[in-house]
This record gives sequence, structure tokens and C-alpha cells, in this order.
Amino acid sequence: MANHDINLTVRTGTVHALMGENGAGKSTLMKILYGMQKPDEGTITINGEQVEFATPGDAITRGIGMVHQHFMLADNLTVLENVVLGSEKLYGIGARAKAKIKEISDQYGLGVRPDALVEDLGVADRQRVEILKVLYRGARILILDEPTAVLVPQEVDALFDNLRDLKSEGVTVIFISHKLHEVLSVADAISVIRRGTTVGDADPGSVTARELAELMVGSELPSPESRESTVTDVEMLKVEGLRIAKADAEGIERVVLDDVSLTIRKGEILGVAGVEGNGQAELVEAIMGMLPLDAGTVVLDGQDLTGKLTRARREAGIGYVPEDRHRHGLLLEAPLWENRILGHVTETPNSKGFVLDPAAARRDTERIVREYDVRTPGIEVTAASLSGGNQQKLIVGREMSHNPKLLIAAHPTRGVDVGAQAQIWGQIRAAQQEGLAVLLISADLDELIGLSDTIRVIYRGRLVADADPATVTAEDLGTAMTGAAAGRIESADEALAEAAVVAEAAAVVEDAAAAEAAVAAEGAAVTEAAAVTEDAGTAEAAVAAEGAAVTEGAAATAAVTEDAVVAEDVPGEDATTTDTAGDDAQAGE
Amino acid sequence: MTTSTEPSPGLGLGGAPRRGRFQRIDRERLLLAIAAPVLAVVIAFAISSLLLAISGKDPFQAFSLMGNYGLGTSDGQVAVLNKATTYYIAGVAVAFGFRMNLFNIGADGQYRLAALFAAFVGGAVNLPSFIEIPLVLITAMLVGGLWAAIAGVLKVTRGVSEVISTIMLNAITTGVIGLLLVPGRFVPSVGGGGSSNSVQTKMMAPSSDFFTLNTQGGQLYGFIIVAVLIGVLFQLVLSRTRFGFDLRATGRSEEAAGASGVNVKRMVLTSMCISGALAGLIGMPDLLSADTGHYFGQSFQAGVGFTGIAIALLGRNTPVGIAFAALLWAFLDATNGQLSTNNYPPEIANVMQGTIVICVVVAYELVRRFGLKRQQQKVGAQLAAQAAAAAKKEVAA
Amino acid sequence: MRRSVKLAAVVLSGSLGIASLAACGAKSTSTSSSAAGGSGLKVGMAYDVGGRGDQGFNDSAAAGLDKAKSQFNITTNEAEAKPGESDSDKQSRLEQLVNAGYNPVIAVGFVYQSAVEKVAKEHPNTKFAIIDSDSPTQPSNVTSLEFTEQQSSYLAGIAAALKTQKKQVGFIGGVQSELIKKFEAGYRAGVASVDPNIKVDVTYLTTPPDFTGFSDPAKGKSAAQGQLDKGDDVIYAAAGASGTGAIQAVAAKQGAWVIGVDSDQAKQTALSAYKNSILTSAVKNVDTAVFSYIQSVKNGTPETGVQRFDLKSGGVGLATTGGHIDDIKAKLDAATQQIVSGATQIPTAPPAG
Repeated sequence: MANHDINLTVRTGTVHALMGENGAGKSTLMKILYGMQKPDEGTITINGEQVEFATPGDAITRGIGMVHQHFMLADNLTVLENVVLGSEKLYGIGARAKAKIKEISDQYGLGVRPDALVEDLGVADRQRVEILKVLYRGARILILDEPTAVLVPQEVDALFDNLRDLKSEGVTVIFISHKLHEVLSVADAISVIRRGTTVGDADPGSVTARELAELMVGSELPSPESRESTVTDVEMLKVEGLRIAKADAEGIERVVLDDVSLTIRKGEILGVAGVEGNGQAELVEAIMGMLPLDAGTVVLDGQDLTGKLTRARREAGIGYVPEDRHRHGLLLEAPLWENRILGHVTETPNSKGFVLDPAAARRDTERIVREYDVRTPGIEVTAASLSGGNQQKLIVGREMSHNPKLLIAAHPTRGVDVGAQAQIWGQIRAAQQEGLAVLLISADLDELIGLSDTIRVIYRGRLVADADPATVTAEDLGTAMTGAAAGRIESADEALAEAAVVAEAAAVVEDAAAAEAAVAAEGAAVTEAAAVTEDAGTAEAAVAAEGAAVTEGAAATAAVTEDAVVAEDVPGEDATTTDTAGDDAQAGE
Repeated sequence: MTTSTEPSPGLGLGGAPRRGRFQRIDRERLLLAIAAPVLAVVIAFAISSLLLAISGKDPFQAFSLMGNYGLGTSDGQVAVLNKATTYYIAGVAVAFGFRMNLFNIGADGQYRLAALFAAFVGGAVNLPSFIEIPLVLITAMLVGGLWAAIAGVLKVTRGVSEVISTIMLNAITTGVIGLLLVPGRFVPSVGGGGSSNSVQTKMMAPSSDFFTLNTQGGQLYGFIIVAVLIGVLFQLVLSRTRFGFDLRATGRSEEAAGASGVNVKRMVLTSMCISGALAGLIGMPDLLSADTGHYFGQSFQAGVGFTGIAIALLGRNTPVGIAFAALLWAFLDATNGQLSTNNYPPEIANVMQGTIVICVVVAYELVRRFGLKRQQQKVGAQLAAQAAAAAKKEVAA
Repeated sequence: MRRSVKLAAVVLSGSLGIASLAACGAKSTSTSSSAAGGSGLKVGMAYDVGGRGDQGFNDSAAAGLDKAKSQFNITTNEAEAKPGESDSDKQSRLEQLVNAGYNPVIAVGFVYQSAVEKVAKEHPNTKFAIIDSDSPTQPSNVTSLEFTEQQSSYLAGIAAALKTQKKQVGFIGGVQSELIKKFEAGYRAGVASVDPNIKVDVTYLTTPPDFTGFSDPAKGKSAAQGQLDKGDDVIYAAAGASGTGAIQAVAAKQGAWVIGVDSDQAKQTALSAYKNSILTSAVKNVDTAVFSYIQSVKNGTPETGVQRFDLKSGGVGLATTGGHIDDIKAKLDAATQQIVSGATQIPTAPPAG
């Protein structure tokens, strides 16, 4: 989703956490605050003064600095050189600059050595260099984009100490994260973003992790309803002892999958929960044959696929809804019917022998468009011109059309509008009833709990815990995802009951969501909620972005026309509300 | 694929009115596709006119000289067509790689080496035409393909960019030819007598004559038919076979193709080989024509591989586009001799070629982005209109 | 299949359409050829790559043409080759000259051999001359203008052998082609005739088909530098325009000599700064050959067959500009005498290996 109606107020000298799932729109918002992207609507106010940023340079002169998730340092230069690079005018490049770096380092307790070579530094040290770089340029407002994603726990604690020092010196920190416990431990204020809009502010002193999680993943959104189990005892997928080690950018070998074993039976949906980057993507790619294995076996329906290539695995009956549909699922500049062939070029109706059968492929594309409700004016338009939800429906339709034995669905409803989400869930369930085995990867805990028959938790490449979706809450699952719990997780009855109430309420909304008209009403409700939480006129406001409606421009090819989405998702809503495919925001993460 | 823009008759989703709208989109895209090269050519003409005018020459006179010869005289037409034949094959060879984002800069080395070996093999035997000619052609394709395969293997196993390796292979080719094209190796030690300073392989037997079409303007390469067949085959393979689909998919998105089951590494190797094999044919019209050849000498035409890159770019890697591009290029090349014999700077044709390439690259990218955006808007507008119509119906009901 | 078939049809019919067009236009031949008669001789000249202004071979031919133009009432037309062109380009260049009524047509350089043969057969009434090349299959209307480069190189070898202090001399060949090997063979023989113990270092800048060795002064410079570093103190640079680089390098070293090639390089204005280092030049008078050929055509007694321009006829020789070889004139004259009389036979190919 593009961002719309985002309201954020940050007080001077505080650590303000901005929370949200991947793809919720955090990064887009930060890009706007840092001048990397221009909002279509809305204003940014700093210390009571309304400002406009055309470039990051403008933001820097206004005292806003950003520490990116991926460090932007030149390895072969020293810390001093990296810091002065591009800001030679400030304090020169010699002794004066070095003195200034020392001064800043001491003032905030960063412990940076100006003459060290960056390539000799560890990740945490590099991060401190990045922070210093920003402070050196005179920043008083610091934006940290998922700073803890790359750190080990001890380093996280050290970082938080640094942040507290910064705060005490009057620096304002905007801290982007989706890790509940970190946020609760360091933030003075919390804002939560979901689906491109601010859904609420919270006080870390009084809010619980559970409440935060609810805000983040949106328990009030439709969640899949529970139903009769269709699990059989026929093993469909059996994965044993998967191990993959990769060398990362620093050349250090990291084990990304470590002795992963799992079994999915006919008619079973196995959900894998985990914080992004803990090996989910590699697990999927290992089963698909896209990554070479260091050890382990993959057996589908009694057929050993371990040494087989991706095509053979697909032919053997694996359907694949990839996590990043633009990268792995579609040819954006090809027409829909060619996208229908993608991944199944060797199968009917797409080809006869070595020759393609475009006529049959076109006919079948029309069928998919009809049956899976893909909103498009025709099958000759490029995939890029569809909205994210319709692209995803096309992919799901394509994968289901070849009667898969196993469906790998990675974040199947990410960046998809509510109506499409319900449809996709429905389709997965229907296939499950006919005996489909599903491996579901999701960051949406409600989706996982509502859809899965079994849940496994992945943490640092290992399956560390498992749970029955009927007896676990999102909160406890979230705890296990941080590595704090292992083994069998069961939540307290009390919490379960509470969750059940929420789920019930959600079910009501879901019904409504099915009817498209209701979506508009829901959207309106969210807007209202945002308006309530909007902090009424804090005089010492450091940054305030109000009603910022944004269209992502960076990924133009992925962008969907505003009109299309407005027409589809929120008919009747103010036509100026702009919207883009959620994937854009994902791309920014 | 820009050629596949014509609407499918099987498009029955929305009935007549929507189909009409569709055709409009397509006509527009077609127009856009043509607009870019035409614009580039016009700009190139304008710039070279300016240059001519500055140097005190009459540009219109110069262009009419070129036009009169290249279009108006029969020998000019033959010269253009013969050149275009060679250029077309070069363009297709390069385009084949381009279609999957593989930049075979090495077509130049591949065809020269292929021609050397083909000439050597052809000179060493004396067989009836129906064996001799296929033997020569197969040798050329084999050598070209294997030479290109080196770059393919390096890319697949060591991750060496094919751009770098093929450029290097071009230089190596020159060295290898220098090494082999000496008396006692590929050149007969006792020359044909005389004291010609040019060194060349043994003449091939007359049976290696590929047929030529006798026209008023001279011998037209029979190879032009082969070139056309290559173009047709190229299109068929790309648009109608599984292999072609995999290739195009890989060209559009290597990652998506990989996830879809394409063995990208094997694909790289295969298409590099095919591109090289096609490149091996570049020298064949010359070699198999009694008019110009039957031998490989030190003055064997070099550089056509690079011309092929320009032509593939200009022709947008489609068989028809490449045909037009090859004709245009051949026209400029064949007619610039007219300029120098009439005291115009012959460099003007080179200026035009250069300008066309630069303009066309820019124009295509602009047009591509514009087209994509425009289509998205149109789709959005259409969907909105549909939704509005549906809402109205509901209200009415 | 539909669309592809349609496509194929379009391409095929298109190409055949153009092909048939080719049969309907008028041929660009001006049928009123066989002119030549009367006062206005029309001389066409086709240069190799570089053309007029290359400070070497082509320029020398151009000088001969200019001389003829100033002395006789003739009209001329010149065209030059592009790098990387095909044989058919050369043919059409010659044909254009022929069709425009030029007769004789002079092709500069052995690369034109097969093109000249082909065009000459088609136009028996036009006279052709080709420099530096002949073939037993060429028709009678082709005249070859050739030079005994080995003879002048032999003299250059003698001069080098007499001038070297360190008993070590160098040879830089532009491209390792048959033509330049003749230079090397003569040079070696000349050196050996003075003192067989003098060492000859040979460097070729490139091997065919890479002909950049004739046009890259930087290559010539580094090759000469290498030979100087090895201790050679006289260097013969038979490398076209690359030779200027060698001359620069040698001039920078005190006491070393360089021998130029083709024209009297000590007289060239571009090289005047180095003239005190240029011992002599092995001159190849392409201009004389061109002039004499045009003159013979003009007089109605055209030279035919293979015309060899040798030491005897003044087609090749050593330049004396600067007077650096005046002291060894006697020895050079004696050697010249021997060659002219046929007493000395000079090899045309260097010893194998």
C-alpha cells in the first residue's frame, strides 16, 4: 500500500519508535522525511516551521539524518575519510575534522576511532560510524532504519545505551523496528503503521507487547476462520536435515539453514513463523531447488527430489507463490498470458512437445482471470499494469491450475488488498480440502494462526519451536520468534479466550470485507482512528507529518495506476486518496 | 516482445467495445515502436546536414548522390542488398544473445575465426557442392559456437562477465589468426607464384560456389535467402518454442526465470553457443561467393560483429526490425563511396551511423517508459469505467 | 502459427521485392566509357587505409600523382579505403572510378590484388596498376608496380653495420607480413656482409591481420626503447607511421642512430626535430613509379606486366640528407655496384626461425 493519511508527531529529545510489519509503509514514510521521495499531499513541520524537502540534502540542512539499514561506507577508507566524505566543507579533511569526530564520539559515548579502516570494523562499530557520520553533519533528528536487524543481543543493548546518551544530549531519535521487546525497552513513544497509514500511538509505559502486536498485525482485520481439520496421515512433503551455509558480504560463512526437518501431510497447512531473515526464504528456495543444499533431503509424495532441478520439482507437483512476486513470480513487462506460461512451460495447456501453444495458453489465461477474479481489461496487458492484489490472484490461479501436490505460499497476502486477501485464503482452503499440502510462510501471525494446522517457528535457521494454532496466541508466538521460547508453546487459557473474542470480532469484519462496499467503510474507520490518536498540537513538536498521502515513484514499473486501485479497493472514497501496490513499500524495506 | 502487439483474435473477455479500446492501445504501441527509430534517423540526417552545411557542402546534393546510387541504380541496389545480407546475419547473431540479456560483443572474433577455419577446411577438400557447402557452413558454425562457448563457460563457472571475456576473445582471435595464417600452416607454403604480398588460405574449389542471383546490377548473394530463413527461424524459435520462451523469460528477469524452473546456467551456455554459431555464418556470404572470395586473407573484412551490435540495437532485436536496420546500414556503407568520389567527406556516413545508434538507444528507453506508464493509466481508467458502470447498474436495479 | 507465417511472408516478399527491384533500376555504368582519347587523361587512384596525408606509402603515391597532374593535362579522382571493409567494397570503389570514366586506375597497396583482378577482367578496356603486388592470374590490362625493398634494406644494413659501436643493431617491422619480411631479409644480409658477428635484434609490432603496427607510433616508440635498452645503437624502423615513434625514442638517446623508411624521413617537417639522429632512410620511390606509369600511359606506350623499380632504376635507394653517411659512401657505392651488376644476390625472406 502506498502511504495515506499518516500522522506522526515526535517530541524533541525522545526516542520515538515507529512500528509496523514489513511492507507496512515505514520505509516509505522515512524516505519522505529524509527527502528521498516527495509526498503527494500533506506537510512536514519541524519546530513549528513547515518545510519541504526536494532532496536528502535539504533534509540534512534541516538537521535530519538517516542511518540506513544497509551501511553506506567505503570499506577501503578510514573512519575519518568516510565521515568527511561529501562534507569536506564543514571541518576540512584534516586535524580539525579528526578533532570534531573525537569530540562527537566522546560526547555521545560512541567510542569511534577515526583512523581505523572501516573494513577492519565489526557490524556494530560500522553502525556507530554511520551514526557519527550523521551527527557530524549537524543532525539533531536521527532516523534509524531497523538498526537492530544486523546486531546480536549484546550489541543491541550497547546501541540502546548510545541512543539514551543521544537522547540526554537533546537529540531526537526516530527508531524503526518491528521487534516488540526492543521497542518497549528503548522507546519513549510508539507509533504503529499498518497498510500505509498510522493506526495508533502507544505509551510504552502502559502498553503491553500483546497490544502492540495487535496494533501491528491488525487483529481487527479479517482473520481466517477456524474450520474442520482436513489433515490426513499421508505424508506429502518430507524434508530432512536441510543445511545451507552462505558467505555473507563480509565473507564470513553463516549457516542460514541448520538441520531443518519437517513433514507436511496431505490436506495439511504447515505455517512457518519467524522474524524476517531467519531462514524462511532459504527454506523455500531449498525446497524449490533454487539454492544448492549442503546437506539434507527433499522428498515429495515418495519421490526423492533432492538432486532435481527446479523445473523437475515443479513438474513433480510443487506450486510456488513466491515471497517477492515481482522478482520471482512474474515477468512484469510481458502480457498476462505469457505470465500464465511462466513456470509451467512444459505442461499442458501451455505447450505440446517442444512447441508452445499460445492459443491454449491464452484461453486458459482467460479462464484464470474469470475464475480467480483477476481484475483486468484483458490478457494482453502487461503484468506490471495490474494492482498487487490482482497480480497475486493471477499467480495463485496459475499455480493452482496445475493440480499441485504441494503449494509453497510465501507471504501470499502481503501487499494485497483486503478483498483479494479473503479470496486467496478461500482458494488455499478449498484446495486444501481436496488434499493439497501447503507450506505457508507468513509474517502475519493472524494469518498463520487462522490458516495453519500446525505452526513451526524458525529462528536463526533452525526450527526452534512448534505450536498448535488452536492453543497459541499471537503474543506467545511472537515471543518464540525472538528466540526467547523453544519447544512446544501453549498459551494460557485466559489469553486464549481473550484472543478468541478478538477473532470473533474479526470474523464479523471479514464477512463484511467479502462485500466490497464494506471495504470503504473499514478504510474510513481507520482514518478516523488515526485522527483520534493524532497528538493534538504539541508545541514542542520536532517532526510532524500530517495527512501525508504518498505515491511510490521509485519502482515505477511496479506501480499501479492510482485510478485502478481506487476503483477497485475503495470505491466511493475521496478520489484524491492515492495508493500504490504494497510491494513498492516492500521493495523499500 | 514488441512485435506481438497485435491483438489476439481469441480475446473475448469483454465483447466488442472493450476490444476496440484494445486495438487502440496496440496501434498506439506500434506507433510508438516505430516512432523511436524514425526519430533517430531524422535527427541523424539533421545533424549530418548541419555538418555538411558547416563544411560548405550542399547536404541535399550529398544525400541525393547517396540515394541515387543506393536506390536508383541496379548495381547500387545489389551492393546494398549484398552488404545487408552480411549485416543481417550479424544483427541476428548478436540479437539472439541480447534477447536473454547476454551481450555477445565477441561476434567479431567468432566470425573471423570461423571464416578462417571454414576457408581452410573448404580449401583442403574438393567435394561436390552439396557436400562441400554444408561442410564449410557447419565448420563455420561449429568454430563460431565453440569460440563463443569459452565466454559462456567462463560466465557460468567463474562468473566472468561475458562482455569482458568476449572483448578479450576478440583480441585473442586476431592473435590466433596471425598465428595460423602463415605459410606452412593455413597458407600453402608454395604460394600461387607471383610476388603478391598478401597471404591467404588455399582457394576453395569452384564447387563451393553458393548460388547467386544474376541481376542487371551484378551478382546478388544467394545467401540472402539463407539470411531470410535465419530470420524466420529466429522468430519461430523465440515465439513458438519452449526454449524460446525460457530464453525470453531469462532475458526479462533472470530471477523469475530461475524460480520458474529455467536452468539459467545451461541457458547462458546454450544461447552463447547459438549466438556464436550464427556469428560463424557472418563471413559465409563473402567466402562462398566466387565474386569476392573462396579464400581467407589478411584483408578479410573485419568489424562486422560490431556493426551487428549496432544493427541489433537499432532493430530492437526483432527479425523484422533487424532487417530494416541492416538495409539502412548497408545503404549508408555502400553509398558513402559515392561521396568520396564526388569530393564530399565520406565520414558523413559514419557520423550518421553513430548518431543513429545514440539517438535510438535514448529514444527506445524513453518510449518504453512512456508506453508502460500509458498502459498502466489506460488499464486503470478502463477498470474505473467498468466499476462505475457496474455501480450505476446496481443503483438502477 | 498464424502470426509467424505472416511475418515470414512479409520478410520474404519484402526481400524478394527489393531483389526484383534491383533488376529494374538502370545500372550506374556510364556506357560512354573508353574515353581517354585526346588531351584529358583521367587518372583514378584508390588508396589503402590512411589515404592521402598518411605521411608514408599513400602519401608517396599521391606525390607521384600530383607531379603528373602538374606536368600533364590530366584530371584525377581519389578514393580511400575504410578500416575493416570487405573485398566487395574495394571492388565497388574501383568500379565507381571505372564507371566515372577514369582510365588508368591505380590501386595503392597489395590489399587491392583480388579486387583489381576481378574488376580488370570485367573492364578490359580500362588500364589498371597495382602497387606492391602481382599474381599470375591477373589479366593483361593490369600492371604491377613493385619495388626491390630488399636492396635498399641491404644498403641500410651495411650502413648500420658500419656505424654501430656496440656491434648490436635493431630492426623494427611494423607488421610481420611478407612485405616487411623482405625488408628484414635485406637488412640482415647487409649487416652480415660487413661483419657476421654483429647481432641483429628483430621486433615486429603486430602480426596480421592486425595491421595497427603500421599506424601506432606508441608501439614503435616502446619497441625502439626496448632495443635501445638492450644495447642496440642503430635501429632500422620499417614500420610506416609507427616509425615516427621509434625515431623519437632513438633521438632521445645520445649516440644512437635510426634509419627511416619509404621516404626521406629526415626531410619530413614533422620529424625535423630529430633529423640529426636519422642516419639515412631506405627510400622506396612510389611517387617515381606512379609518375612513370602515368607518363607511359600518357605517351601511349603503357608499361605492362610487372614493373620492378630497383636500385638500378632509382626506384629504391638510400637518402643522403644530413650527410651522415658521407664517410662510408665509398663502401655503399661498391655494394650498390655489386647489386646492380648482379654479383650480390639478396634473399627476399629472412632465415626461418
